[in-house]
Amino acid sequence: MKKMFLLSMATLALIPTFLFAQGGAETKKDDKVVIEYWTHEDANRQSLEDRYVTEFEATHPHVTIHITRQSSTKMIELVQTAFAAGEGPTMFNLSINDEYPYMAAGRIAPVDYEAAGYMDADELEKTYLKGMLDPVKMDGDFYGLPLELTNWSLYINKKVFKSAGLDAEKAYPRTWEDVVSISKKLVMRDGDIITRRGFDFRYPYYLESMVPMVEQLGGQLFSADGKEAIVGEDAWVTWLTFMQDFGPNGENLGSPTYKNARSLFNQDNNDVAMCMTGLYQEARIKNDNPTFFNSNDWMVVPFPVFKNAVKDEAACYYGHYLMVNADASDAEKSAAWEFIGYMLSHGEEYLNTVNIIQPTKELMTGEDYHSKPFSDVFAGDFERGHVVYYGANSREIQSLLRTAVESVMLQNTDPYQAYLQLKSSAQELLDEE
Amino acid sequence: MKRYQKKLTVVEVLIWAFLLMVLVFTIIPIIFMLNAAFMDSKQILAMPFHWIPSSSYFTTESRTFFTNFHKAIYGNNENPVFLRDVANSLIVAITCALSTVYLSALCGFGLAKYKFRGRNFLFMSIMATMMIPFEAIMIPLYMVTSTLNMMDSYQGLIVPFLTSAFGVFQMRQYLSTFPGEYLDAARVDGMGEFSMFSHIVLPNCKPVMATLGILSFRAQWDNLLWPLLISQKESMKTIPLYITKFSEEKQTDQGAMMACALLASIPMFFLFSMLSKYFLGGAAVYESRKG
Amino acid sequence: MSHKKVYSMEKKQAKWGLIFTLPCLIFFALFSFYPIINAFITSLTNKKALVRTSQFVGFDNYTYLFTKSNGGFSLSNSLRATLTFTIGTFIPMVIVSLIIAVFLMQLRGKSSRGFFEIAYYLPAVLSSVVAAAIWMILFDPPGLINQASNFILRTTGKDFHWLVNPQMLQASTMIVYFWKYIGYFVILFITGLASIPPMLYEAATVDGSSKWHTFWRITLPLLKPTVLLVSVMAMLQCLKTFSTQYMFHQGGAARQPIDVITMNIYFTGIRNGRLARASAMSIILFFVMLFLTLAQFKVSGSDETEY
Repeated sequence: MKKMFLLSMATLALIPTFLFAQGGAETKKDDKVVIEYWTHEDANRQSLEDRYVTEFEATHPHVTIHITRQSSTKMIELVQTAFAAGEGPTMFNLSINDEYPYMAAGRIAPVDYEAAGYMDADELEKTYLKGMLDPVKMDGDFYGLPLELTNWSLYINKKVFKSAGLDAEKAYPRTWEDVVSISKKLVMRDGDIITRRGFDFRYPYYLESMVPMVEQLGGQLFSADGKEAIVGEDAWVTWLTFMQDFGPNGENLGSPTYKNARSLFNQDNNDVAMCMTGLYQEARIKNDNPTFFNSNDWMVVPFPVFKNAVKDEAACYYGHYLMVNADASDAEKSAAWEFIGYMLSHGEEYLNTVNIIQPTKELMTGEDYHSKPFSDVFAGDFERGHVVYYGANSREIQSLLRTAVESVMLQNTDPYQAYLQLKSSAQELLDEE
Repeated sequence: MKRYQKKLTVVEVLIWAFLLMVLVFTIIPIIFMLNAAFMDSKQILAMPFHWIPSSSYFTTESRTFFTNFHKAIYGNNENPVFLRDVANSLIVAITCALSTVYLSALCGFGLAKYKFRGRNFLFMSIMATMMIPFEAIMIPLYMVTSTLNMMDSYQGLIVPFLTSAFGVFQMRQYLSTFPGEYLDAARVDGMGEFSMFSHIVLPNCKPVMATLGILSFRAQWDNLLWPLLISQKESMKTIPLYITKFSEEKQTDQGAMMACALLASIPMFFLFSMLSKYFLGGAAVYESRKG
Repeated sequence: MSHKKVYSMEKKQAKWGLIFTLPCLIFFALFSFYPIINAFITSLTNKKALVRTSQFVGFDNYTYLFTKSNGGFSLSNSLRATLTFTIGTFIPMVIVSLIIAVFLMQLRGKSSRGFFEIAYYLPAVLSSVVAAAIWMILFDPPGLINQASNFILRTTGKDFHWLVNPQMLQASTMIVYFWKYIGYFVILFITGLASIPPMLYEAATVDGSSKWHTFWRITLPLLKPTVLLVSVMAMLQCLKTFSTQYMFHQGGAARQPIDVITMNIYFTGIRNGRLARASAMSIILFFVMLFLTLAQFKVSGSDETEY
């Protein structure tokens, strides 16, 4: 009796040792280096990078690389939780406005120029297009290398246009007012319920795709001196009113609660005619629906502008930069930068297989880029746009914009009230810094 | 002897009508899931909804009876990731169920059958933990887990759920009505306390242990937030993670998503049909065994 | 002599009592008490997810939560959302499940009762992620719920904005929760009802009491402990709700109307990285739950019922 009891107590006591033993096995042995690379999911990029891992491990036998992939929204939370507990991955990538807080908090290691294949910071800077590395520049050093640079333009399904008697080539929207009037012609409903949309916005990416709309009207997210938030009352209220008129409480042309347009676009199911997305979408269309891709039934046109716009702005471009954890060991850091250098040396492959652009001078002026359908449209919009807002609290600003849009579109709040709410909350955030 | 048959009264008819309405409300979404698992998005979102998937759907080249299920299991990969996640969920849920039952029994027995100072205080404190929402402690828990090097592992998934306050409550309520005479008799016979526990108490708790085990199993099967935080490696993910990931990836393929949901529910349905008695025994078993 | 025996027996009791409870105590200490204390301590600092160091700031976080808007998702809004959801869900749940249980007990055939029990319980068997996935499709504008509503109200093509209109959105989350747990509480009530000795009913009928009268005067009072227990459980469950609201928001619905405290804690802590503030919210939630539970016990009086 007593023996049984002592035995079970002993077993319970052994559990912690078992736990620690497991942990011990995971601690890196002296010469072996393990790299944890977290990235977002993309079927095309996955096959490419899995191959790079195999090739790199073959030439670097002491290095093992584990790739973890999550959906892009989950990534943001998971990387942050991991870093908060001191368990961040060795290397990862997020959109710059999500990555910047890490840099600002000193959690990111500077680029190891030699390991990545550059002589020094200057040579690195010269390899890329002007300004592309600015977001990751801090105190003269660079803290990330671009995995992709993306901007969004307007994709159009010509068949849907044709079904309403419109010739997309001639009648594609140049202004936001055009977008609305065309959508009104294309929308199909069953009572209140929309069964086919003309255009729908790219919720919830307000910083990237909707701040430019406000800027077109003369408004600003932050004043130039960085002291005031949500500048330009008229512009903001006009834009919020525009969104309200578009949504379920206005013309009922679309809403954040319907499935996102770009996922539907590939299927060519006659449920959406226009959507806003980047060059990488082409690879996805090709993957999901090769017949549609190869037909002449889709096209890409520049980001629309308001009729009374005071500024010409296209969608903001954002970048995903590969970054390395400052807490990693020196061996891990240099191995990670080497691997990054290796991956990024395949710029054309990334472009051709995944349709993502690494903004090196070489690539942007090369044949591969120019041979992509409508790449000139994207390049043009690139010139018209500027980089997305990145800052320590960009995520919260994104949330605030989301709330503002949702309140006018879904809750029928008065746009002026929504503007006031947005302004006071954003100002609060600004003042906290 | 013939039973006296009463006529069907108006009240009874009304009762039946009400119960049937509630039944419809309860069952329809489940039937919907069953049907939608065989349809594609267009049919699911069709207005009006046709309950029987149209046969034309099955005869096109690109879709067969099992297309949705194939998509559900394989997702984007060549490997049946889904099956591995099922295995992970099973391992975690079964282990937690077993340990919860055993540890709760131990603790409930100690609290119910032994008088000692601070006993009530301990019991109240344990009950108070039921009011701690998981979101409140997830960050500290995450840090405890990573300090103990249990990230991305079965231990990490299991250890924080080795027992539950609810389990302790159940066992203590049940055991407090366990006849003390048996225990006294056993002691007089010279049995040790622990042996008494294993040989006399436990075998007589089977119903409540089964119920507790099933509820714990179910709770772990359903656990989304914790694996979300600590399971980064693909090989360690559990079913709820798969479903959420799946629903994001294939956002517009509702058919495949419903097929995924259906597959994920099958083990629970199976358990339920085999052991419904214990599910339904639910929290009832703690009710005193008076009279 | 006997004094010594009693004394050593007491000691033995104490020793064994502690031995049996020790494993669980260690567990709760490590995985419940330590984290909540840690959360409290964190709430007194300004800890953020990515910043390595943090400073002690006293009750600043609490002051902030009660006065500022927390990036648009204020604590007061969350309290409102949580309380609306809780009250709007658990009260109907308790009442309706009681009614269903009573009705089920009136059925003549035992097998028909068993059939209903199983059918009603089915939604509780599903994982909450699955339930949310199903209902999101049902609440979609072209989905079944709109179709059914149109059918019942004899309108056509009207979109009831289940996921759009703030009140409807809250109602939608309540409906999903209600659907999922109603069967569970029906079972609890049936057990409670079944434990009332039938003798009492017979005695009442003999005394000339009508069924209605019996219900109010005998059944309900005897059921009080069960009702209390079910109410407290239902209420606590509703206060802790997370996945339904989270899934709906991930699916595109607005956050503000359904920003229950747990979700606010999650987003403030995990999305925005403000761990200290999120910890303060958790502590507040803990006290809200404690308060409401105690209040409920007080209101219903904790007298034992004797047959």
